[in-house]
Amino acid sequence: MSGFFIRSAWLVPFFPLLGGLIAAAGARKLRENAHVPVVVGIALSFLVSLGLLFSATPGEEGTREGTTIVMRWLTVSGLNVPIEFRVDGLTTMMLSMVTFVSTLVAIFAVGYMGGDPGYPRFFSVVGLFVFSMTGLVLSNNFLLTYAFWEGVGVCSYLLIGFWHTKPAAASAAMKAFLVNRIGDVGFAIAIFWLWSIVPRHDLSYTNVLSESTLHAMPDHAIVWISLLLFWAATAKSAQVPLYVWLPDAMEGPTPVSALIHAATMVTAGVYLVARSTPLIAMAPSVQIAVTQTDLKRVMAYSTVSQLGYMFMALGAGVGHVAQLAVVAAMFHLFTHAFFKALLFLASGSVMHAMGDVIDMRRFRGLRHRLPITCWTFAVGALALSGIPPLSGFFSKDEILLALKSAAHESHRLGWVYSMIYWVAVLTALMTAFYTGRAFFMTFFGDEKLPSPDDPEAPKVDPAAGHGHGHDDHGGHGHGHGHEIGHESPPMMTYPLIALAGCTVLFGLICLISGPFGGTTKWFEGHLHHTWRFESLGHGEHGFDWPTAIVGTLAGLIGLGTSYVLYAKPSPIPGQLARRFHALHDASLNKFYVDEIYAWLILKPTRFFAVLSEFLDMYLVDGLVQGIAKLPRLFGREVLAPYQNGLIQYYVAVSALGVAGFFLILLLF
Amino acid sequence: MPAEPEILALNALMNYLLVGGALFVLGMLGFLARRNMIVMFLSAEMMLQGTALTLVGFGRYHGNWTGQVFTIVILTVAACEASIALALIVVLYNRRTSLDITLWREIREPELECPVKDEVLEREEAEEIEPIPGPESYPQLTPAGIEPAHPGQAWTERRS
Amino acid sequence: MIFPTVAIMLAAIGTFLLLPHRHGALRPGKLHLIGAALAAVGLVGLLSAYLSFSGPFLSGLFLMVFSLFAVFGGVLTVTSRSPIDSALWFASVILSTTGLFLLAGAPFLAAGTVIVYAGAIIVTFLFVIMLAQMEGKAAYDRAARSPGTSTFTCFLLFWCLVYSLLSFRADYTDQGKKALLPPRDYTAFYVVQPDFPTFRVFSAANRSTSQFVDAEGNRKPHVAGLGETLFTDYLITVELVGALLFIALVGAVAITDPKLPIRPAGPTAPSGLAA
Repeated sequence: MSGFFIRSAWLVPFFPLLGGLIAAAGARKLRENAHVPVVVGIALSFLVSLGLLFSATPGEEGTREGTTIVMRWLTVSGLNVPIEFRVDGLTTMMLSMVTFVSTLVAIFAVGYMGGDPGYPRFFSVVGLFVFSMTGLVLSNNFLLTYAFWEGVGVCSYLLIGFWHTKPAAASAAMKAFLVNRIGDVGFAIAIFWLWSIVPRHDLSYTNVLSESTLHAMPDHAIVWISLLLFWAATAKSAQVPLYVWLPDAMEGPTPVSALIHAATMVTAGVYLVARSTPLIAMAPSVQIAVTQTDLKRVMAYSTVSQLGYMFMALGAGVGHVAQLAVVAAMFHLFTHAFFKALLFLASGSVMHAMGDVIDMRRFRGLRHRLPITCWTFAVGALALSGIPPLSGFFSKDEILLALKSAAHESHRLGWVYSMIYWVAVLTALMTAFYTGRAFFMTFFGDEKLPSPDDPEAPKVDPAAGHGHGHDDHGGHGHGHGHEIGHESPPMMTYPLIALAGCTVLFGLICLISGPFGGTTKWFEGHLHHTWRFESLGHGEHGFDWPTAIVGTLAGLIGLGTSYVLYAKPSPIPGQLARRFHALHDASLNKFYVDEIYAWLILKPTRFFAVLSEFLDMYLVDGLVQGIAKLPRLFGREVLAPYQNGLIQYYVAVSALGVAGFFLILLLF
Repeated sequence: MPAEPEILALNALMNYLLVGGALFVLGMLGFLARRNMIVMFLSAEMMLQGTALTLVGFGRYHGNWTGQVFTIVILTVAACEASIALALIVVLYNRRTSLDITLWREIREPELECPVKDEVLEREEAEEIEPIPGPESYPQLTPAGIEPAHPGQAWTERRS
Repeated sequence: MIFPTVAIMLAAIGTFLLLPHRHGALRPGKLHLIGAALAAVGLVGLLSAYLSFSGPFLSGLFLMVFSLFAVFGGVLTVTSRSPIDSALWFASVILSTTGLFLLAGAPFLAAGTVIVYAGAIIVTFLFVIMLAQMEGKAAYDRAARSPGTSTFTCFLLFWCLVYSLLSFRADYTDQGKKALLPPRDYTAFYVVQPDFPTFRVFSAANRSTSQFVDAEGNRKPHVAGLGETLFTDYLITVELVGALLFIALVGAVAITDPKLPIRPAGPTAPSGLAA
């Protein structure tokens, strides 16, 4: 049975691709129904993933167990890259998460995107995205992973820039793509390097991550390749210093934000690092680098911080903690996908109900008008804040535990891990605070709906300023503007309920499996089916009450503060903002990171570009064109006079040539 | 009719090669030097004649018919060439009312100054016309399309 | 090699003088005479020195006469001012050539050449008369295109040909017929094994064609032998040549389509030239 599922693993990427192709090819015919093939395709691939979930196998060293070769892709001398899929614990876990969230997001988007002129385009790209993402997760080869990695990047570009007529969206898409390219260079170099040092130039995980290969590799190569892989993951998962694209990426449609920038794509980096853990575990200094970059990330955004958590956990994998660390990271990835997608979709629902107004200051007290959105948002917010017994609590607790264990485990670098531990706790507090702020500002207080007379409304035409681009196309039927303040259609609320249910469910499972038996036993048990997972160091660890209490307290304090400040209109935030106006302004301006980048990187690059242009125009072009002019001059001055159009000249020259050759033949 | 000659010796073959080569070269000279398209065409035919002569000689020397067969092929090709070339010459003459090949130089580099001396110089290079002594006289022919005067009986009437 | 070189140089100078172009201030009439004399001396010397007779005296005489006639006809064809003269001299070249054909034992070919070329010459003649009744008065008939270069090129080529012929003759006279190896001997000489690929190619290319004599050594009748060769060994060639003739016919008709408008697409000849 398991063999059957493994052999049919190719169906997982295939269905969404087929759906996307149908949606793209039949765009004119399908019109309003363009979502059907894509939603069905993703749902089918989710079902297959469920089947795979129970057939995960770690595979044996030197065998092809758990892998399936779909087709030959590249066979050049010295390089053989089949399209080969590996079905193990990590893969199946990611697969089921990705396909499940994607299904719900796609269903949500049916309601959200209704009436948009680019409706079929949206769904075909979503199908392509799920294809790339599942392919990325399934592939058993660094090169294939890279190909899908790029595919994911392209889809992200297409989706962020979905409303490409809007300059902000277009430039955000460009930014996301370019920043990702910076990371991809690292990945590519890592692959080249690996290719040159692994035996048989075989880039499959089976070969690269096997014990013998890892031990045969030189130390410096391991360090640098790990760093390069981590660099790639940094860009894809929006970590410092390459996180700048993620906030701008919110220009895309909200389902896209949920799909790509919360649940799936950004986890690709975490996946890559987790997959390469056997490699990275050999380079302790890299682990420090992983965690050190995260020190600077503390104040960044929600997703960035949560992904930072995952990297922190991965970085904590020293010695006996390695297994625990990977499990913690992947578990957080898993739970985070659900509640973050939930949060994004819920805010999308709010926006939908408010007629595409996204300025939080322009509405409040919506809990009676949007009950379902309100309570699902609450579940998500609580999970994000790490309040027991929701799933977020357990996964965050695992990460904190991993950090703490690492602090004990690593004697030399213990103080670093202790510091990271407290940073993580602080992050938990901050996360809880801003999540609570968003929640309370939106759903509590006196009821207020957006209206053009609002003093907070932009001075110019609000539709032009805050519209989603498709507001320009007035009578498009689904009528945002007319039904302001009503709950979203079931097509949008059901996914919210499903996601909220999952968030609660995982929490319950963890609760039942018991804080005393190890919260993540069932999850860890599944991850044990991962290739080379058993080689990671592991030790006994259990539920740690102090950690749990500290984490919960941090979350509660954050939520409480935000309730005090924002649940009712109060003067305190304004006063605070005035007192710390520098910090406030800095925060509003994303801490001037974009500006710093502009000074540090853009200006020198632009100067260099201008210099290069100058050199190109006057030096290189001059040289090249000068060389090109030589034959022209020669032709014009020397050869052209012979092209005088007189037939007899041509014949005479031919005859002279014949005579000359004849003469040479005879005399020499 | 001369008697059927024996298979040629090498010396006899040489005669044909020598004359054939001379004809070939003279034809080439005509093609290179003359500007009248009809004369150029005649010169090309003369080159073919030289070739035909050598082929017949070789066929004789080897004692088989191949050379003669090739000559027949050459004859045919020459006939084809005559039909096409004369048709082309008629068309070209109709365009420029001249048989001068120098007037057709369209394949040259377009913006190039013509290195050939202009027409006035060329006319000066041309030989003077040596006047024929005596008054100019041409034979009188009846213009076409006009019924000539009938001097006597028509031949049909005379016959009866 | 000195004698033929001198003879060819004389012929070249003579032909150069005979070609229509202005020789500075000199009167052309005397120069023409000098040129004719030089060319005659050169060519007659060359031919009489190197044409060899074997067999009856009469056929040797005819060979000499026809050769001289052909060559002089050729010179005059090229150098005549009037295209009509050129055409007439060309007819004389054809007639001399047919005479040589007869001497070489190709009476059918001689007859065919006379018939075909007579037709072609008459047609050419008619065209000349119809198109350009200048009778040597057109400027382009009185000015050759770079006569010096042309003469040099052509006679250099002629010298090369003569040189190769004569040196060949000088070296291999003793070996007689063996000197020029027939292709069949070539095959036999070079190929040892019949299944050698080269052998197959050579033997296919040099398949033995019909000979003047049949298997018993009896001479075949002339036209019958030629016809047999044409329609056995060279059947495809004959068909191809027939197709070529047909295509040329169609092409000639298409080119001279009277319905096509005749537009002067460029400068016409200056009126001063035509006079």
